[in-house]
Amino acid sequence: MTAPLVALKNIHKAFGGVRAVDDASVNLHPGEVVALLGHNGAGKSTLMKMLAGAYPIDAGEVLIRGEKAHIRSPADAQELGIETIYQTLALADNLDAVANLFLGRELLTPWRTLDDLRMDADARKVFARLNKNFKNFRVPVRRLSGGQRQTVAISRALYFNARILIMDEPCAALGPEETRMVGELILQLKAEGVGIFLISHDMHDVFSLSDRLAVMKNGKMVGTYNTRDVTEDEVLGMIILGKRPEGKAQAERLQAEGPRRRTHSPYNPADR
Amino acid sequence: MSGALQALRQAQIDWRLVLMGAVLVGIALIFNVLSGGIFLSPENLYNIAQQTAVVGIVATVVVLIIVARHIDLSVGSVMGFVGVLVAYLMYTGGWSWPAAALAGLAVAIAVSLYQGALTAVLGVPSFVVTLGGLMSFRGAAFLVADGKTQPVNDEFFQRLGGGYDGGIGVTASWVLAGLMCAALTWALLSKRRNQQRFGVQGNPLWLDLAVLAVPVLIVLGFAAAMNSYQIPNKDAPQGIPIPVLIWAAVAIALSFIVHRTRFGRYVFAMGGNPDAAALVGIPVRRVTLMLFVLLGVLITIAAVVSIARLNAGTNSLGTGMELYVIAAAVIGGTALAGGAGSILGSVLGALIMQSLDSGMLLLDVSIGKRMVIIGQVLIAAVVFDVLYRKWTGEQ
Repeated sequence: MTAPLVALKNIHKAFGGVRAVDDASVNLHPGEVVALLGHNGAGKSTLMKMLAGAYPIDAGEVLIRGEKAHIRSPADAQELGIETIYQTLALADNLDAVANLFLGRELLTPWRTLDDLRMDADARKVFARLNKNFKNFRVPVRRLSGGQRQTVAISRALYFNARILIMDEPCAALGPEETRMVGELILQLKAEGVGIFLISHDMHDVFSLSDRLAVMKNGKMVGTYNTRDVTEDEVLGMIILGKRPEGKAQAERLQAEGPRRRTHSPYNPADR
Repeated sequence: MSGALQALRQAQIDWRLVLMGAVLVGIALIFNVLSGGIFLSPENLYNIAQQTAVVGIVATVVVLIIVARHIDLSVGSVMGFVGVLVAYLMYTGGWSWPAAALAGLAVAIAVSLYQGALTAVLGVPSFVVTLGGLMSFRGAAFLVADGKTQPVNDEFFQRLGGGYDGGIGVTASWVLAGLMCAALTWALLSKRRNQQRFGVQGNPLWLDLAVLAVPVLIVLGFAAAMNSYQIPNKDAPQGIPIPVLIWAAVAIALSFIVHRTRFGRYVFAMGGNPDAAALVGIPVRRVTLMLFVLLGVLITIAAVVSIARLNAGTNSLGTGMELYVIAAAVIGGTALAGGAGSILGSVLGALIMQSLDSGMLLLDVSIGKRMVIIGQVLIAAVVFDVLYRKWTGEQ
């Protein structure tokens, strides 16, 4: 019996009088993909931004590997192995791909100056692993294509060895080829024991990639289910009406279970 | 030939800087013809160089302020305030110049922290904070000595502003120019070595040499011009004026900060995308505060040079300087929208502004007309900036 990788317990967040996140709880285990679903404004991005340190938490607890964590800034979250790929990608458009990969965590020489050579060499390796066609990483990222920009954003999580990865709509701006690349990457990271929160509106992505799904509405958690236990219609019912499907067991996974059966994957026809 | 054109097209050359350099040369040549050869005389070049230093010093750091999506309209007033204060402490207070300058530095940093904190911590737009500062600190400059001019008599201190004894002499000028050229050559060699080591395609050798030749010739030419200016009742030529050396040191230091330190990179990241900068964990508030402190330091240096040059601190010191400084930054390629700018560009921009001003003065253009023209030059620079970015597809 081990504690979850991430346990968000009774989290609250209000902006002015609006309760953006209202008593929401969700767990994440190593090697697991948990999809977060809900309308725009349901609170899923806000909940994740609190885990990433971008917003302070009003009330509630964050446990990382069973220990209480105090995440007050993105740097705190990074220390805990939490990496985030934002929907906006969080890139400085005027800087090149290498500078963006290391932004906020630059490698320094012994004289505390930027170690451009080492950053350049390391960046090449990560970019090559993600996207072999990506070569022009010395131009400002504003001149890159959507897929290349996404590569830069994802490379941060890879280079800094994310143990907990938050992906906010990672495929929203991508073509089919790049979407497939992201899908493969998720499976690869999962196999390495990374826990992934996936925010997505795309039902196909959710059902093909996630182990569990958690639905939010108006800041509240509607329910958490094993993805294989529910149908797309039931999920839509939760998103739109906030109605839990009848006769289906919740799967909050407060504790880790034994080895889990691999869930369905589009890359493994036997699962479908 | 087509290979050469190809190389030029791909070269890592800032064409905008080249264009501004050409504009500066054009301005100089036109004024030289109109003034009958006076504009490009060693004496006039010496004066322009030392007059530009004050605006140039402040412009280097205002580039970074604008890059970070802020603005500072109070630089002239704060410089006046600090300048009068330093002069007052020396003349009326009887302090030594280092002590007075350090006190001025402390006050400048306090002012910068105040304005910076309002901007960085409370989020008040820097435009508003420094617009108030423009008025307030001009008033403070008046209050320091009750509006009285404070003469500065220390001979060593006066040399910091250039003028009669403010050159470093022939030998030292040649030595410094030689060192500068050696440093430029070394920088190019180490760049080429690294490109080779990491297999990066660089410029062809002839192009790199041509790009190196331009600054080398400028440095040597400048040293030669300064070394051929002799004040009639002195027995040796002036050499490079000290304020220009201070300006050069400041520009080199800030270029280093921009290209080689985290702080410099964060300033550009914050200008390019403030939200992203915060999300990736850059301490945006602290960097903004540090930036304003840096501004305070450089304003103090400019204030010292300025009162040393005038041999006095007056309450009108630095009046209208904000316009020259911002114009210098914008002419040098700093985007008012933030995220782009260069220190070297601000040096060129400051020289263009000062050359226009001095040239018109030389031609006896009245003060009213000069103000009309200088103001419109600032607007022309911004219009050019907007059009240039449209053409090149940036932003």
